[in-house]
Amino acid sequence: MSEALLQVEDLHVWFDLEDGGELHAVQGVNFSLEPGERLGLVGESGCGKTTTALAIMGLLPPSATVSGRVLLDGEDILAGGENAIRPHRWVDVAIVFQGAMNSLNPVQRIGDQIVEALELHGRAKGDVAKARTAELLESVGIPRGRASRYPHELSGGMRQRAAIAMALSCNPRVLIADEPTTALDVMVQAQILELLDALCRDFHLALVLVTHDLPVVAQLCNRCAVMYAGEIVERGPLETLYHHPGHPYTRMLFAASPDLGMGDEPVLSIPGAPPRLDRPIEGCPFRPRCDSAFAACGVRPSLLPVGSGHDAACHLNTAVPA
Amino acid sequence: MRGTDYVLKRVAFAIVTVFVAVTINFVLFRLAPGSAVSNLSRVPHATQQLRHALEQQFGLDKSKWQQYVIYLKQLAHGNLGVSYENEQPVSTNLRVALINTLPMVTLGTVFSIIFGVFTGVIAAWRRGTKTEGATVTTALAFYSMPTQWLGLMLIILFAGILPTGGMTNEFLLNPPFWTHVKDLASHIFLPALTLGLVLYGEYTLIVRSAMLETLGEDYVLTARAKGLKPRTIVRTHALRNALLPITTLIALSLGYIVAGAILVEIVFSWPGIGRAVYDAVLQRDYPMLQGAFLVLTISVVFFNLVADLLYFKLDPRISQ
Amino acid sequence: MPVLEREMSEASFFVESPEAGRSNRAQLLHKLRHQRAALIGATILGVAILTAVLAPWIAPYDIHTQSGPVFGSPSWKHPMGLDDGGIDMLSLVMWGMRISLVVGFAATFVSMVIGGSVGLVSGYFGGKTDTILMRITDYFLVIPDVPLMIVVAAIWGPSLFHVIIVIGILLWTGTARVIRAQVLSVRERAYVKRTRALGAGHFRIVARHVLPQVAPLLVANTVLTVAVAVFDETALSFLGLSDPSRISLGKLIANAFERAAISAGAWWAIVWPGVLVAIIILACSLLGGAVEDALNPRLRVAHLSARTFRLRPLVGRGKEAL
Repeated sequence: MSEALLQVEDLHVWFDLEDGGELHAVQGVNFSLEPGERLGLVGESGCGKTTTALAIMGLLPPSATVSGRVLLDGEDILAGGENAIRPHRWVDVAIVFQGAMNSLNPVQRIGDQIVEALELHGRAKGDVAKARTAELLESVGIPRGRASRYPHELSGGMRQRAAIAMALSCNPRVLIADEPTTALDVMVQAQILELLDALCRDFHLALVLVTHDLPVVAQLCNRCAVMYAGEIVERGPLETLYHHPGHPYTRMLFAASPDLGMGDEPVLSIPGAPPRLDRPIEGCPFRPRCDSAFAACGVRPSLLPVGSGHDAACHLNTAVPA
Repeated sequence: MRGTDYVLKRVAFAIVTVFVAVTINFVLFRLAPGSAVSNLSRVPHATQQLRHALEQQFGLDKSKWQQYVIYLKQLAHGNLGVSYENEQPVSTNLRVALINTLPMVTLGTVFSIIFGVFTGVIAAWRRGTKTEGATVTTALAFYSMPTQWLGLMLIILFAGILPTGGMTNEFLLNPPFWTHVKDLASHIFLPALTLGLVLYGEYTLIVRSAMLETLGEDYVLTARAKGLKPRTIVRTHALRNALLPITTLIALSLGYIVAGAILVEIVFSWPGIGRAVYDAVLQRDYPMLQGAFLVLTISVVFFNLVADLLYFKLDPRISQ
Repeated sequence: MPVLEREMSEASFFVESPEAGRSNRAQLLHKLRHQRAALIGATILGVAILTAVLAPWIAPYDIHTQSGPVFGSPSWKHPMGLDDGGIDMLSLVMWGMRISLVVGFAATFVSMVIGGSVGLVSGYFGGKTDTILMRITDYFLVIPDVPLMIVVAAIWGPSLFHVIIVIGILLWTGTARVIRAQVLSVRERAYVKRTRALGAGHFRIVARHVLPQVAPLLVANTVLTVAVAVFDETALSFLGLSDPSRISLGKLIANAFERAAISAGAWWAIVWPGVLVAIIILACSLLGGAVEDALNPRLRVAHLSARTFRLRPLVGRGKEAL
C-alpha cells in the first residue's frame, strides 16, 4: 500500500481565550493527500479550515495548543514542535494566502522576497538567484522587469501571482492555497485559478484549496472535504457530494451556492449560526440548523463511509427506516 | 508627483509653525499687559543709554503692528536683542550655549533610542512572560521620575566617582588633547545618562507597541511559512516595518527632550541653552528668555521636519 | 506622552448601540477589576488622594515650626528625616502631595474642558471647522510645551492659579486629538445616522449618543494627563516659577536642591518627595494605560514571539473515523 504524501491524523487545535478558557477550533480532523491530488477544504468562516491548513505547516500562534499527527511521507513533522517542522516549510509544503497585499512585506521589493526564499533554502545565490526569480515571475505571467517593484505598485492579481511564484520557488510537493482568489475581482479570479490549475499540473503538485467559495473548488479540485464546527462532516469526489450529499449541511451548502455549472437549483441561504467552540458540543453540531434532525442526533455522529471514497458524519445514513 | 507634494507640504507646515511660534513670542513679550520688555523700568540696572537704545531697537514708540514688523525684520537679520545681564548680543550667547548643549543632548538621546528600541523589541518578543512585565514596568518607572530628581539621585550615587557639575574642570589650564577629552567625557557622562534614562521609557513603550502591531501582520506569517528563523523575521521583516511608526513617534517626543535638557542642565550646571533659560528666568533677562525660547522652538520644528522627511524616505509607499 | 496618545487615537469601541453601551461599561469595569496594573494604579492613587485630603489631620508635625535638628537624619520620631529648616519631612511630604495633586487635577480639568470641547466640536461638525481647529492643534503640538510654559509663567508671575492655567493650556492638544478621533468614529455609527435622519438636534445627539461613547476614553485620557500635569508642575517648581507660598512635592525637591541638601549629606530631603512624585505619576500611567488597553479591542494575534505553540498528546476521539 503506497503511503499518502500527506496524512493528517486526529488533528486538534485549541486557542487560549482571554478569560482563561479554550476555543476548540479544530476537533479531530483526518484526511490524506496523494501526490498530484487536489483537495478542496470548504466551509463557512470560522469552521476551522484555515486553522487546519496552518496547522499542517505548524504556523500556529503561541496561543495555540495542537495535538494529532501530520505525516509527510510517513514521518510525523508535527511531533517536534516549531523547530522540527521549520525545515519542511517551503521545501516540502508551501502556502499562498488571501489578499496578497498584506502577505507580502510592503517595504521589500518583490524580487528580493523571492530571492530571500531561494537563498534561505540553498537553491541559488546572488545573480543566479536573481535570474531564477525572473524566470519564476515569468512563469506566472509577470514581466521580469517587475521584480524591482514594491507590492503596493502591483495590482491585486499581480501580487497574488508573485505570491504564487514565491511559493513555488523551492519546488514544494504540496501547495496550500488559503482563499487565494477571495480578495480579487471576478475576471482576475478566473486568471489566477487557471494559473493554479496549470502550475499544479505542470509541476505535479498536490493542492489543498481552502475556501468558502464552491465554484472555485469545482474548477480546481476533484475531491472535497466539508468542514463544520471544527470537524470534517463529509468528504468525497465533488460530483458525488453535489448529486448525492451524505450530510444536510453539504446539501444546503451546495444549494446556497449558484453558478456551480452543475444544475439549475434555486439559491437558498442557511439560517442560524454555527455553534460556539469554547464549550463542549452536545450531540451533532449541526443539529440546531438542520432541517432533518431527529432523535438520534442527540449523539455526536462519526465520519463513516457511505460510498466508495465517500464518507459522511450523519445519522441519516445509518438510520434504520421505521 | 506624490513625493515632492509631501515634502513641500511638510516644509510649508514647518515654516508656518515657526511663524506661529515667532508671533506667540512677540505677543507674550510685548503685548501682554504689564509686558516685561515694554516696561523698561523693569530692566535691572538700566542706564539711560541702554534704555534709549532699547526704545530705538524695539520701536516702543510706534504702533503694535509696526513693532511686529520691526521685530520680524530684526529676526530676519538674526538680531535677537541684547542680554540684560552681560550686555552681549543674545544670539552670541545662545550660539555658545547651543554648542555646549548639543553633544550632551545628542548622547543622551542616542542612548535612549538605542536602549528603548532594544528593550521594546525584547518586551514584544517575550510577550506574556515575566520579562515583558519587568521590562515595561522598569521603563514606566524611569519614565515617571522627574528629570531633576533622577539627576540628583545619580549625583548622590556617583558623588566622588564622577564630577557632578559643569562641563569641564576649570582648574585644568590648557590641558593636552586627550586629557581634555577625558575631562569632557567624565563631565558629560552623568547628564547624558540622566537624560537617556528619563527618555528611554517612552521609547520602550512605543517600540513594543509598534512591534506587536507588526508581528500580527500577514507578511510575518508568510515569512514564517517560508521557513525563516524567528530572529531573522524580527529583524528584517517586523522591525523594518515597525521603524515607520517608531520614527514618527520619536519625533513627536522631541519637545520632551527639550524639557529634559533644561532640567538636566540646571542640576548639573551644564552651560548650555537649558541653563541659559533658567538663568534668564532668575535674572529676569527677558531678551535672553525670548531668544532662547525661539531657538528651542525652531530646533524642535526643524527636527520634526527631519523626522517627517526620514519617514518619507523609509516608506516606499509614500516616496513612490 | 505621545505614545499613549497614539494608542488611544486608534481605540475604537466594540459596541454598536447605546443600549449595548451601558452593559459595555459594566463589562469594562469587570475587565479592569482583573487587570493587575489597573488595580495597583488605582490603589496607589486612592491612597495618595486620601493622604492629601487628610493631611491637615494626619500630618504628625506642623510644617511651619521646627521640630528637630536642621537636616536631621531619619529616626523613629522622624521616619523621613528633617529638612534644612528642621521641619519634619513626612509632614512636608503629606502637605506637598496636596498641592501637587491639586495642580495635577485642576490643570487636567482645564485641559479636559478645552481639549474635550475642541475635539468634540471638531469631530462632530467636521468640514472647515475641523480643518481649522486641527491645524491650530497641530501647531501647538509641535511647539515644545515646557519652554512655552516657562516663558508664560515667567511673564505672568508665579501663583498657583497661573500655574494651573498655564499647564492646562498646553495639555489640551493631546486630549483634543484623541477625543476627535473617537467622535469621528462614533459619528459614523449607524444608530447615530438614524437618529440624525429622524431629525434629532445636535445637542441631543451629542448628549445622549456621542458623550456616553466618548466618556470612558475621556476618563483614560484624563488620568494620563494628570500624570503629565504633575510632572510639569515639578518642573515649573524646580525653576522657581510656582507659587512660593505653597509647598508641592516639586517645590520640596527644588528647596533641597537650592539649600544644598546633597552637600550636607541629607539625601532624605530629596529622595522622599521624588519617590512620591514618581509613584503618583506611575500610578496614573498604569491606571490610564490599563483603561485604554481595556477599551481597545485592537489586540491582534501576534504570529511570532519567544513562545511557540504547544503540543498535547493524542486525544484519540477521531481514531475510529480513520
